[in-house]
Amino acid sequence: MDHMSLTEKWLRGIALTLVVLFFMFPIFWIVLMSLQTNETILRSPPSMVFEPTLKNYVAIITGKLDSHVASMDIAFMRNLWNSILLSVCSVAVALLLGVPAAYAFARHKFRGSEDIAFTLLSFRFAPPLLVLLPLTIYFQDIGLANTYFGLIWVYQLICLPLILWIVRGYFEDISPDLENAYRIAGHSWLSTFRRIALPLAGPGIAAAGLLAFIFAWNNFIFALVLASADKQPVTVGALAFVTASGIQYGQIAAAVVLSIAPTLALALYAQRYLVEGLSLGAVKG
Amino acid sequence: MYEKEKDLIDAFRRGQMSRRSLIRGLAALGVSAGTAGVLVNMVSTQAMAADFDWKKHAGTGVKLLLNKHPYTDAMIANLENFKSLTGMEVSYDVFPEDVYFDKVTAALSSRSSEYDAFMTGAYMTWTYGPAGWIPDLNEWIQDSGKTSPTYNWEDMLEGVRKSCAWNGRPGGELGSPDAKQWCVPWGYEQNNLAYNEGMLKQIGASVPTNMSELIEVAAKATKEIDGVYGIGVRGSRSWATIHPGFLSAYANFNEKDLNVAADGKLSAAMNTAGSKAFHADWVRMIQESGAADWSSHTWYQVGTDLGAGKSAMIFDADILGYFMNGGGNAMAGKLAYAPFAANPAASAPTPNIWIWSLSMSNFSTKKDAAWYFIQWASGPEHGLFGATQMDFVNPVRESVWADAGFRERLDKSYPGYVAMHDLSAPGASIKFTAQPLFFDLTTEWASSLQKMVAKELPVDEGLDQLADSVNRQLKDAGLG
Amino acid sequence: MATLSDISVPRRRFAVSRRALPYLLSLPALLVCIAILVPFFTAVYYSLQRFRLSQPWNRGMNWGENYVNFLSDPDFWNTLQISLTYAFLTVGLELLLGLGIALLLRRRSRINNFISIMLLMPLMTAPALAALMWKLMTNPNFGILSYFASLVGLPDFRWGSSPDTALLTVVLVDIWVYTPFMMILLLAGLRSLPTQPFEAAALDGVPRFQQFWRITLPMLSPYILTACLFRLLDSIQQFDIIYALTQGGPGDTLMVFQVEAYLNFFQSTNVGRSAALLMILWVVTYFLSYFFIKSWLRLRERARGEA
Repeated sequence: MDHMSLTEKWLRGIALTLVVLFFMFPIFWIVLMSLQTNETILRSPPSMVFEPTLKNYVAIITGKLDSHVASMDIAFMRNLWNSILLSVCSVAVALLLGVPAAYAFARHKFRGSEDIAFTLLSFRFAPPLLVLLPLTIYFQDIGLANTYFGLIWVYQLICLPLILWIVRGYFEDISPDLENAYRIAGHSWLSTFRRIALPLAGPGIAAAGLLAFIFAWNNFIFALVLASADKQPVTVGALAFVTASGIQYGQIAAAVVLSIAPTLALALYAQRYLVEGLSLGAVKG
Repeated sequence: MYEKEKDLIDAFRRGQMSRRSLIRGLAALGVSAGTAGVLVNMVSTQAMAADFDWKKHAGTGVKLLLNKHPYTDAMIANLENFKSLTGMEVSYDVFPEDVYFDKVTAALSSRSSEYDAFMTGAYMTWTYGPAGWIPDLNEWIQDSGKTSPTYNWEDMLEGVRKSCAWNGRPGGELGSPDAKQWCVPWGYEQNNLAYNEGMLKQIGASVPTNMSELIEVAAKATKEIDGVYGIGVRGSRSWATIHPGFLSAYANFNEKDLNVAADGKLSAAMNTAGSKAFHADWVRMIQESGAADWSSHTWYQVGTDLGAGKSAMIFDADILGYFMNGGGNAMAGKLAYAPFAANPAASAPTPNIWIWSLSMSNFSTKKDAAWYFIQWASGPEHGLFGATQMDFVNPVRESVWADAGFRERLDKSYPGYVAMHDLSAPGASIKFTAQPLFFDLTTEWASSLQKMVAKELPVDEGLDQLADSVNRQLKDAGLG
Repeated sequence: MATLSDISVPRRRFAVSRRALPYLLSLPALLVCIAILVPFFTAVYYSLQRFRLSQPWNRGMNWGENYVNFLSDPDFWNTLQISLTYAFLTVGLELLLGLGIALLLRRRSRINNFISIMLLMPLMTAPALAALMWKLMTNPNFGILSYFASLVGLPDFRWGSSPDTALLTVVLVDIWVYTPFMMILLLAGLRSLPTQPFEAAALDGVPRFQQFWRITLPMLSPYILTACLFRLLDSIQQFDIIYALTQGGPGDTLMVFQVEAYLNFFQSTNVGRSAALLMILWVVTYFLSYFFIKSWLRLRERARGEA
């Protein structure tokens, strides 16, 4: 299959170009838009020629939005911070809880282990709203409403099953022989887990963590329903640029760019783990 | 700080100086108009303190749930005055309008004591009131121990004030003697025409004065001006599509949403012959001269397009036309306003109104303190401050509308606005039947309208289907 | 990394019974999730009630009447149909596209790796924001896509605003966001396939086209199944994209389960109906995933048996 005719090479090239165009163009266009004023955006036909401006970004980052009616404060940077806090903490908690459990499911076939594992995975099947709506009332009763703690807990609904499922696959792939040998040498279970199993599964854990981070970051509805304005993530914050005094298209675009930039950067930086995480763990189960 | 300025303002308070010379004097001292307004208000606020114990709840903190809106901006700009008047603390959460009401529902339905007062519309109180989430504010308004003598409740425009009161009986008349005051009006919108003067001139059309002229002029503008459509109205799949221009015109033809029988039972009234004729006109207007993406248009798109010169007219909230005539909009200064009675036989417009109001949460633990905030924010002093210094239009108080400075300001930059308001104010009120299924039925109405505009359904058949569905839902809920 | 010569580690001081250990390890995770079961059962309870927040006096058990009402409710059948159409359309198209792209990128080369990383970018975009981006791109005044459409002779192409093209538009956004997910799973699968069968087939002179049907596809099927399962679960519960783009309109064109349930709860405050809708969605999802996991386990057994 290494022999390709010239036509085939061309066809492949064209197909790949089209694919890259389709998937990259919207991001390219939104970046262009974020560098324009509302005026140049609203020109028709749309044109690539314009004088780029960083006004939109400045407005968002300094938090002063000069619309023509009144200057108002926008809390987009606060949203950004919330997104970071919620995603990082949720993933950390999910790793802390999920990795030992994944190890247990992979190494010890105990009674009911498959059932418990499936139950945990099945939380992924529950429509988020089904859990969320009654939860608003319970959160109020137990004082978790509008707390980061409560939100991070609910985020486990997305993060925990993912980490459990992927990391378990990794542990199953690692032969237990090495661990057994180490145990026989007289080491405790804990130190075996810490010194042998964890490092071996490291790439898998990193991959699962990354994936969970992305899903947490992209979540829209949990915080919207459960928390007050000062705890909203960027996905909700980006809506705030639609105001009574007109739609600030350039600022929406800049906000979108700023909100996807962290996940994009993370993905580029850690793409090796990400690809592995998306493939191996998820597939081998 | 500001000693000289304060002297000037005190002179104004004592009646030695007109408002204009005051502002001019302040400007000479290098005080910007906005700051001047805050200062004036500070002095009026101090005067307020004389007749009433505003400090009763000093030290108490209240929290507000607010929508991102110019009214909110105006309030926040003046908030320091409230704090110094009362010694209270105020914190607030502001949410974008796309999610605002869902947020309110989430907070109230979970019986959250987080928020003490919040912004709402009158329609929403038809859910919140019966659900037991908000108290009857008459308890505070009528209590002279809790409400300042300067509050002057009767100063609120009658149609607006009554539209915020309902006795809780499905189909019950708004503002009836046994009505409960679920919210107090804050700022409100009438629905009339705002149009691009240059464009109408360009096509040689005069301002439409009834439905068939509107259809005609809109079609002409669409045809003759490149890249412009004739008429902006809302179209998203939401109750908000029905309540502005659409219902105002519908009511002008004496059509109703629901019939209320003598025994209090409700039934659909959208499939009368008159209603069908009106719907047919409306649908044709959108098909011929509406926005290409009408079915996704909320008031933001309607306004933005007018401001950007993409549409020739809008039949929507008057304040939307107001905002589009300012600041960075391409068409700023080029818009004008006209009252609009869709029915040629009608003597005056009958705009349905949207009222941004303030309500109190029943789960608040500091209701009296929350009322202090509500009465200040809806009081005459803040109303005048907002209307003259910020974009707090339309005010809900007679006294503000009577203020010469306010009228002058509007007349200067918003041609025809005051006249439009004065002409249509007498007929302005909520034209919907108050009942707890408001959102179900009205959203379905919007959905039917979308189907008719998309030609998925003929108008007659669509309305018959809608009426059947409405009747079924009313029966299911024990109302029909 | 630790090695076997690392003997100087202190010995354990108290022994955890070997049988209790796995339970202890999985307990915290389980507890966190079990607590989430409480609201789940509450939702079941609500779904069996006549429960409208705006009419508290009417509240009471009506034992499944909400469900029975669905049978004669055209809106419900519309919702079920749209949700399934949306799910199968997106998953099907994403599978085809993803598989195609994965085949194109199959060979490990620097350029292919680079492209596959670039293609991950849409997946990193929050669906709610992706919908916002596409809404801007399809704006009839300045949207670049509307402009392109007018260039190819479709000046009146209305994207999400017309019932004829609304489904197409949201499916397009879904494809844009999630095809990379499918692609990357299948690419990993393709690259991990053993090479011997292909070499043998090449020696036997089996045409490449037949190799694909006879060898690649069967060997890839567990990967395909997993990828489809993950996507199907998300897709049938789609909310962000549709809500942000059209709120379920125009008309009732895109009233999928979660959008309908959301509006039922937040706008109509009809909690009973909203909960019942979500329960049905849960059952549908559960059966779909059960079916998929069963076939996946079977495929895996077979694969392991052959290995």
